[in-house]
Amino acid sequence: MKELKAVKVNDNHYQVDMRGWMCPYPKYAITAILEKLPSDSYLDLLVDCPAATKDVPDLAKRQGYEVQRVELLREGEWLIRITNLHPV
Amino acid sequence: MSSKSYVWQSLKGGWSRIFTEPWPIGAGVFALTITNLFMFMYARALGVFPQMAMWGSWLYNIMGIKTESPFAPYPVKPIYLDMHSMIDIGIIVGALGAALLAREFKIRKEDWQGYLWGAAGGILMGFGTLLMPPCNVGGFWVATMAFSLSGPLSAVGLLLGAYVGGRILQYQMHKAMQKLDFSAAPKGETQGVKVLSRQPQWGVLVFSLALLLAVIYYLAGMPKNAGLFLFGILFGLIIQRSRLCFAGAFREILVSRDGKVMKWILLGMAVGVMGFALLKAQGYQPDHMVFPAGWHNIAGGFIFGAGMVLAGGCGVGILARSGEGYTRSWTAILTAMLTSGAWVHIYGQKVGQGWLYGKPVFLPQLLGWGGALAFIYGFLILFYLFILWVEAGKHERA
Repeated sequence: MKELKAVKVNDNHYQVDMRGWMCPYPKYAITAILEKLPSDSYLDLLVDCPAATKDVPDLAKRQGYEVQRVELLREGEWLIRITNLHPV
Repeated sequence: MSSKSYVWQSLKGGWSRIFTEPWPIGAGVFALTITNLFMFMYARALGVFPQMAMWGSWLYNIMGIKTESPFAPYPVKPIYLDMHSMIDIGIIVGALGAALLAREFKIRKEDWQGYLWGAAGGILMGFGTLLMPPCNVGGFWVATMAFSLSGPLSAVGLLLGAYVGGRILQYQMHKAMQKLDFSAAPKGETQGVKVLSRQPQWGVLVFSLALLLAVIYYLAGMPKNAGLFLFGILFGLIIQRSRLCFAGAFREILVSRDGKVMKWILLGMAVGVMGFALLKAQGYQPDHMVFPAGWHNIAGGFIFGAGMVLAGGCGVGILARSGEGYTRSWTAILTAMLTSGAWVHIYGQKVGQGWLYGKPVFLPQLLGWGGALAFIYGFLILFYLFILWVEAGKHERA
């Protein structure tokens, strides 16, 4: 299978591209991704499966992370920004 | 506000709620339940896989391999002349149009392994549909509401099969993340919002052309083809907008101990059962969607359940997702067609005939209408309680 890779946007701002991973892969990945995310950081998760725009934020919030935005990047692609900066 | 601008604002708000924002899951479930009842009153209830099996047999015949279609009520004929196939085509077109309107359409490509898993899912679904029969929506959802004993039996297999499929997906995800390391992440550019194209306009065009096609069928003397095509479009729209996924409903119960979607589906079924009871008790198509009952429901459900999770959707799901641009679903449809379409060649008889299958059991015939209603509602309540029990385990651990 493809491998997930992280990209550094800024010092505490990372991006993981999960476009091309159909649902429910993003939902099954998000918990482990957030566990690996360095503390006090932002994560931009890119997805292209509509259901992930609900599943992933729901799951992240339930685990105490703050979901800052879910925005349409272009048709059929979304950016979900999650942070562990302010534990809820 | 002038009355003119009030009307305009309300129409705009309504359009956005229906065609842009995702629907609440409950709205999707009840829209599906009611549309299914209306289509039953019109001609037949929802089921999609026997048609796809027929497409497979049709392809074999075109290639010069003579074979019959596996489901007796769906003899091989050109797809565009078969009114049942119009439902399937409608679902693809409806989901395509809805995805475009909402700016959610994208050709979603996979690597070769993704296609391989999609193909494997399709092959499993192809065998599952023959053994079960027929598919998740027809064999579990409709069959249960239509008082076929096979429905509740299939649920057992589907639940376990979807669990196995879900664990495979989880394992793949786990493997793909092993080397994920933020500390070694190379510097990269952030993704900015891109200029949007004209998808909503294309969506309007798709629905307009679909309507035109329905009119052509009507004028050509095939009103049922037109009607079932329009019903299919409605199903595609509902599935795309509500993101209702029967494969996910079964999968998440045991994989994530989350039965939210299935609980909504069960609630919808509790209402739908009444509609089927009222129609069938008056002698309207009492045998409709009553399938052979036996061990094969559970075994077939298991195979189908695992396959639908790997393929990324049940029968209705892969049709809708193929309209949204999922290439894995395209692969799954093709392999499912070719697998199920070869059945008569392999087994020698049609689905429901021979040593493999039990007899169809229509519950009211066995238990009377009171007993049959008690049986189905008992099953729905038991399934609901089972989900609560599974979910409770998660809260205990937390």
